[in-house]
Amino acid sequence: MEPPENSNASGGAVAFEDAQKIILRWDSTVSEEARERMIFEGDRDEVDRYLKAVDDIQKSMSSTSISDDQDKVNSTTIQIAMARLEDEFRNILLNHTTPVELDSLAAADPSSSVHSSAAGEYEEDDHAGDDDIQDQIQRADSSTSNSSASYRSTSSIREIDLIPQEAVCDLQSIAKRMISAGYLRECIQVYGGVRKSAVDSNFKRLGFEKLSIGDIQRLEWDALETKIRRWIRAAKVCIRILFSSEKRLCEQIFYGIGTAVDDACFMETVKGPAIQLFNFAEAISISRRSPEKMFKILDLHDTLMDLMPDIEVVFESKSADSIRVQAAEILSRLAEAARGILSEFENAVLREPSLVPVPGGTIHPLTRYSGDSTTPDMEFAELEGKTPLAIHLIWIIVILQFNLDGKSKHYKDVSLAHLFMMNNIHYIVQKVKGSPELREMIGDDYLRKLTGKLRQAATSYQRATWVRVLYCLRDEGLHVSGSFSSGVSKSVLRERFKTFNAMLEEVHRTQATWLVPDNQLREELRISISEKLIPAYRSFLGRYRSHIESGKHPENYMKYSVEDLESAVLDFFEGYPVSQLLRRRCQ
Amino acid sequence: MPATDYQGLSASISRSILSLRRDQIHSMEPTHEASGHDLELEAFQRQVADRFLDLSSVGSDDLLSLSWIRKLLDSFLCCQEEFRVILFNNRSQVYKAPLDRLINDFFERSVKALDLCNAIRDGIEQIREWKKLIEIVLCALDNRRILGEGQFRRAKKALIDLALSMLDERESTAALAHRNRSFGRQNAASSRDHRNFGHFRSLSWSVSRSWSAARQLQAIGNNLAAPKANEIVATNGIAVAVYTMNSILLFVMWALVAAIPCQDRGLQVHFSIPRQFSWAVPILSLHERVLEESRKRDRRNACGLLREIYQMDKCTKALAEMADSVQFPLTEEKEAEVRLRVQELGKVCEVIKEALDPLERQVRDVFHRIVHSRTEGLDSLGRVNHND
Repeated sequence: MEPPENSNASGGAVAFEDAQKIILRWDSTVSEEARERMIFEGDRDEVDRYLKAVDDIQKSMSSTSISDDQDKVNSTTIQIAMARLEDEFRNILLNHTTPVELDSLAAADPSSSVHSSAAGEYEEDDHAGDDDIQDQIQRADSSTSNSSASYRSTSSIREIDLIPQEAVCDLQSIAKRMISAGYLRECIQVYGGVRKSAVDSNFKRLGFEKLSIGDIQRLEWDALETKIRRWIRAAKVCIRILFSSEKRLCEQIFYGIGTAVDDACFMETVKGPAIQLFNFAEAISISRRSPEKMFKILDLHDTLMDLMPDIEVVFESKSADSIRVQAAEILSRLAEAARGILSEFENAVLREPSLVPVPGGTIHPLTRYSGDSTTPDMEFAELEGKTPLAIHLIWIIVILQFNLDGKSKHYKDVSLAHLFMMNNIHYIVQKVKGSPELREMIGDDYLRKLTGKLRQAATSYQRATWVRVLYCLRDEGLHVSGSFSSGVSKSVLRERFKTFNAMLEEVHRTQATWLVPDNQLREELRISISEKLIPAYRSFLGRYRSHIESGKHPENYMKYSVEDLESAVLDFFEGYPVSQLLRRRCQ
Repeated sequence: MPATDYQGLSASISRSILSLRRDQIHSMEPTHEASGHDLELEAFQRQVADRFLDLSSVGSDDLLSLSWIRKLLDSFLCCQEEFRVILFNNRSQVYKAPLDRLINDFFERSVKALDLCNAIRDGIEQIREWKKLIEIVLCALDNRRILGEGQFRRAKKALIDLALSMLDERESTAALAHRNRSFGRQNAASSRDHRNFGHFRSLSWSVSRSWSAARQLQAIGNNLAAPKANEIVATNGIAVAVYTMNSILLFVMWALVAAIPCQDRGLQVHFSIPRQFSWAVPILSLHERVLEESRKRDRRNACGLLREIYQMDKCTKALAEMADSVQFPLTEEKEAEVRLRVQELGKVCEVIKEALDPLERQVRDVFHRIVHSRTEGLDSLGRVNHND
């Protein structure tokens, strides 16, 4: 615009005056117009002019031939320019703090953990508004879990663009000038202030609640489980996507200034949420230990372990030392907690002192408690290739079974002992079958072995109870040669009936009070009993009733009809006493 | 974990009775074990007393300073460690009533201290934020520069930010309005408003809105009473050690909350310790002195009683006043005044810079030791139960 001057000094002076005018024009402490408009939201030419003005002032400041007075004016002008640039910087940042789309985040997340619950196991959480988001994350998770093999460390980090490139360029050009004018700290301050709240709000949208250690102690385990699950999902997104993207943004804006600056900005921005994130995991790692927590604690541990390489990368700066250290501490505490739970449980199983048999032969409380971690004895060869955890679990089941065996011997009635074993082993089998994690760890071979034991117990029970009952209905001994009544001894027959009735009544009365809690098992047992008892009785009746009917008081011997027996069997293993066997008219 | 065999104490019937006054110790059958046990307990009492006597001998200028706080935490860690050893050496006793209940109670109280440790960490972060603003002021009014209008404007901006940030939360909104008037800034643009308020409160606490440091302290001190004579006898004097540790925990946490900014600071915790305990006097005296400090006119609304916060506040307020009233060109007198204040501020800033990181590490250390001791203790309580 101005005609070129001959001397540098005067040319410089003119340029300087223009620059100063521009800068003063945009001083928001004096000009209404300057307050209402933002330079970087307007005309690009204006932007360029302003930046050039700043550069010119700076250039003149570094020139040596400068008077004290001039210097004072310069520094005032620069201060005005910097204050303005600070506002512009803040404004650009504020214009680009739209919350990140969480479903796109989740879809980008490539990892899936072995222990984590299957997609179908998702439960309602207490943030109604977040349900949508959680659903999307879950769907995305399950859809991508097939496509991801095992991602290694930093390849699992996914940075996204938090701010569009043009804005980044503007921010860069402002930052450059602020820093060269010695206003680095203000720049970091502004950056940190705005980005902090942006990260905070993204963080909140992941469903994080600020829970204290006291809060977590007071929560029921069920509620905690849900929160742990949520944490696992959120932590992956946070570290691999949110935090790493913030880090990249810092690096972009403060490019070429030196890592100390972008490290400082980054830490300023994410330290709060990062600490909140880890505080939760820490609280879980120091909570009271009890068996049902084991798998979730392992899940948490494994997630954190998976994330460690990424944590090391994202938080590699010196100022992030405390975070890395905390993460490592939590990891080791979680491992300790899992080990502690396992061995405490082991001790409990081994030393469980109650000698009082469980009434009704039903499931021992310890079996039920160990329902989440159980299995039977095994050959050493079969233990090969199993993880230490699996072996430990198997060991626990061996101990459990040993203990159960011991307990069963306390039952005076040997049939009850067998029923007790049946109930408990069946429970274990059901639990293992019902948990994919357990099943995978313990293996189908063992499941078969267990099931075999179950069948064995069932057979033993039947033998113990029913052999002697059915013995009454055998043919041998009833036929006497050389008698007049077609070869059947009436007295023996009557004895047989009497004994059968007595035994049946006794078995019925006793075993109705026994309990098989599992519906299916109870049914199967009854069916199995019926299959042996009913046909035998029916054919016995069929063959010999005429002999009884031809004698005195047939009703004393043929007390029960087949139907009576069928309905009697329905009373078995219900767990409460019944009145006498119903007796209908004999047919 | 190896199954440990716990031996009962020999001659358990004829245990010596630890009384509160040394000359009353008598034993029916002084076994070597018994006197060693008593000596251990006594040594603990003595060391606690010694440490707190030392801490209470601090001058009023250094009370609640960063270095004093660090010394306090050091003492706590030592006491905690000695206590842990006592529990370990007496682990066979630990599961017997009433000691098991007392120990469980101690662990419950110490868990509450964990949340306070985390809150203090937040507070330390807050102080870091202030330090950053001070660094801007120091940069603007640096020694080597000529103090022109530009420098003062720059410093003023930071000083305003700092003043707002150091206000108690409740006072923020009122002060905001006042500040806008007094510094002549008509802030119409929304970005400015966001900046004014959002920036200062952008360091939100990592605890929920309903969490309260005061309540947490009260929970730690709840029903804390010196052990009765029969309890002392039944626990072979260990109840005294437990009470001692509980009291130390309460005091240390209370002092931290007094010094460092945190959500809902409140200093009304009841401290009543029987004077027979040799450490009671120094702790109670410290308590009194801190309370007195909190009642002083210019400290009543402080967000933390840390000495360095006070110094920071004084310096920056003085500088802000000077910046407000400054006329250009500066008189030599005025300039000297300003430079003096800047130097003072610089010194405080140095102290803060040096001490904050180590302090944070110490607080984490306290956290860890409490967790470790509790895990260890609960483990042995649990394990022993199974050996019955």
